[in-house]
Amino acid sequence: MRGRLKERRQSAPDQQAADPDPRAMAALLEESQDIHHDAMTATGDSLAEMVESGLDARARGEIDPDESREVAAKRTRLMTGAAFGGGLLAAAGIGAALQGLFASDAFAASATDVQILQTASSIEVLAVSTYKTALTLPFIGGASANPVVKTFATTTMQQHSQHLSAFNAAITTLGGTAQTNPDPALAKVVAAAVPGLTGPGPVVALALELEQGAAETYVADVAALSDANAKKVTASIMGVEAQHASVLLAVQALLNANAPQLITLAPGNVANLPAAAGSVGFPEAFFPTDQARPATEGAQS
Amino acid sequence: MRRSTKTPEVMAISEHELSAMTSDLDQLHHDVGMPAMHRAIDQWNEKTRSSRRGFLIGAGAVAGGAILAACSSGSSSSTTTTKAGSTSSSSSSGTLTGDLAVAGLAASLENLAVAAYGDVLTAAGANKLGTVPPAVATFVTTVKGQHAQHAQAWNSAIVSAGHKAVTEPDPVLTPVITADFAKVTNVTGAAQLALMLENVASQTYQSAVSAVKATSSVQVAASIQPVEMQHAAILYYVLGQYPVPNAFNPLTLARPVSDFQS
Repeated sequence: MRGRLKERRQSAPDQQAADPDPRAMAALLEESQDIHHDAMTATGDSLAEMVESGLDARARGEIDPDESREVAAKRTRLMTGAAFGGGLLAAAGIGAALQGLFASDAFAASATDVQILQTASSIEVLAVSTYKTALTLPFIGGASANPVVKTFATTTMQQHSQHLSAFNAAITTLGGTAQTNPDPALAKVVAAAVPGLTGPGPVVALALELEQGAAETYVADVAALSDANAKKVTASIMGVEAQHASVLLAVQALLNANAPQLITLAPGNVANLPAAAGSVGFPEAFFPTDQARPATEGAQS
Repeated sequence: MRRSTKTPEVMAISEHELSAMTSDLDQLHHDVGMPAMHRAIDQWNEKTRSSRRGFLIGAGAVAGGAILAACSSGSSSSTTTTKAGSTSSSSSSGTLTGDLAVAGLAASLENLAVAAYGDVLTAAGANKLGTVPPAVATFVTTVKGQHAQHAQAWNSAIVSAGHKAVTEPDPVLTPVITADFAKVTNVTGAAQLALMLENVASQTYQSAVSAVKATSSVQVAASIQPVEMQHAAILYYVLGQYPVPNAFNPLTLARPVSDFQS
């Protein structure tokens, strides 16, 4: 993050007076760094710790995958319902229900986490392939493409590929099998949409659906996962998908307003943006989970 | 806030269409997002009412991250009285430990964000930031409102547990932000400062997701972290920078609970 702050200063030397006080910030950052790791280190540490727990899990023997699948589905339903729309569950005493579930001998934490992570991987597989397909279209990855849109599609595909690697590493360190197939339910949605990708608008709409679904799934997952390190990895990714969705919402709005020329990172472009563009990228104060995918949708059978 | 008087003609249509879209989204937020969040908070509150200790399950048992370090070192600090800022009249009294201490930190960060965006609006109104683009004005107003909702969510749990609401801003970060803001002379500078605040908030929440113990606490933190990152994405765009710079959100700017307990 220090690097990014430096880069920002370098890219806007005329704004030096407005920059945060470097000494004060350095002190705070130094203090923070005594306590924190950066993202990749945190992710790496998480995975390393998962190796330990994965080995422990394997030493204890395999857990019935069908039983784990049932538990995973039940857990995510409870987690999603508890926060969003869980009136009946709340009335039934969801706290006690969860405690009972987690305390049960049948609760196969690692295997359940593996299935949740496999679903996450399956979503990432689909995202990578969808952006790859989109980039073959002339108006997304070709000569007629908006440069920012093309860069976004390329970079986002790479980021999803990194997410896929992280999720699959988490899976294997927990003793599971990496997921390399796309989410089967979402894959059908994408397959049905592909013939209609005749312009930037439908592509952005499809990508937005995938990004929003991914972000909401991971938001639900962090409450459903039991392994602390799997939770950390997922938490470091969920907001990134939300940022993808935010960018797509803004791009979609500008396309719908017939103002594609405003999709640019050129300095000063903000002065030309309409007022509504300032809020279209974050429509809700609390990120929802009603579009979260079921926990076992992409798990291996 | 002074707005640009020169608007491209195409934006006459764009503005209308975008406004309609924003209105729809706002309606969706109130129809879907807010009721859902209220249910989560209600559940949270019910839990803390039924057992004042219910929200504190996590004390001393958390693992990893800044909040963890602060909470762990606070096993003896589980009796630390929250005191933050110089306005003791608005200070939370009593002891916040475990998940509640994290909630206190979160509320104090949200208070700081609300205050900072308020200062931006005041400065803009006094013509101290130069020309303020309409999109920036909308951004600041909307984001300020969302941060206020976040603060309200955290304080709802704190008050429900029998403590006073946390109304003061993060006492460690506030002097730094105040000093920095005094040097801000334009929208770019304000956006840079706001970006730092949003990144601090999102990374603190990300740390909190691993640090808190109650499922409802995880859910609230997880529902806010992506929103702060969305604020950051738009700020990057405003600054002409790539809006999604990291594949994995870092934790280097996360604030420790000791901020709030100092």
